Amino acid sequence: MTQLQAYAGYSVGDQLDEIVQSVDQSMINAYADASGDINPLHIDPDFAKTTFFGRTIAHGLLTLAFVSRVLSAWNWQGWAYGGDLNVSFLGPVYPGDTVRVSGEIDSIEKREGAVYARCQIVCHCDDRTVVKGFAICNITTKETK
Amino acid sequence: MSDYVKYSSMSEGDNFLDPLPSFEVTQQCVDKYIKSTNDETQQLSVHDEQGNKVAPPMLAAVYVIDALRTRVGPPGGIHAKQRFKFHRPAYIGETLSTSAQVLKLYERKGRHYVEMTTETRNQEGELITSGMITRIWGKEA
Repeated sequence: MTQLQAYAGYSVGDQLDEIVQSVDQSMINAYADASGDINPLHIDPDFAKTTFFGRTIAHGLLTLAFVSRVLSAWNWQGWAYGGDLNVSFLGPVYPGDTVRVSGEIDSIEKREGAVYARCQIVCHCDDRTVVKGFAICNITTKETK
Repeated sequence: MSDYVKYSSMSEGDNFLDPLPSFEVTQQCVDKYIKSTNDETQQLSVHDEQGNKVAPPMLAAVYVIDALRTRVGPPGGIHAKQRFKFHRPAYIGETLSTSAQVLKLYERKGRHYVEMTTETRNQEGELITSGMITRIWGKEA
């Protein structure tokens, strides 16, 4: 394995294009309908009041859908064909929140005849970090940047 | 008898899903997912070089959760960690089956955590997505 500082136009420290997405209860309901995940914590305000959160929260995987949009725009080929995402959910996204998804390449390595970029991924709602982790994508064949 | 899986009923190494649930990737379910997530990725609206119409990688959130829903925990459980490895995107028209195995069970700060690995294959047995999910189990009545 060889660590690189740059490869094919990608460099350590590159920022991925951010997205900013507002989330409201209608979006959460639509996601629940599309995904089939009808946990009442997400869609039933009366039930949610009885939980630790005190109100409904968005599905964690809805936030990951926003992460996927960022990675798809950055490098569709590397993300959809072999991409690896590893994240922790650190806090809830509430209806009315705005999620900002950002990413930065923190390492590039060559192994087994291919080159991979590792991107730190962070999702914020204002100053709260709600998701944090990293994605690894093959950048050997670059389709978009 | 409860209508959910009790934490105490699981053991590390258990195959969580038996029989394996299947999921058909339809244009309708993909369109619904794309709309609900505001995903305007250009590659989702065209056919790939092999003539396949691809689904968003994160549709895994739908077919994996759909599979896990066949054996649910109590209401109020939440997601703590997620790992997905996308071997390739699912194609519209494929039928996917997801297996899941309980990897680890542990308690932290009075909450029960369940770690599971998942593997999703198409009707030909081709590996589409593998993953690991950590859930905080909901409180049991």
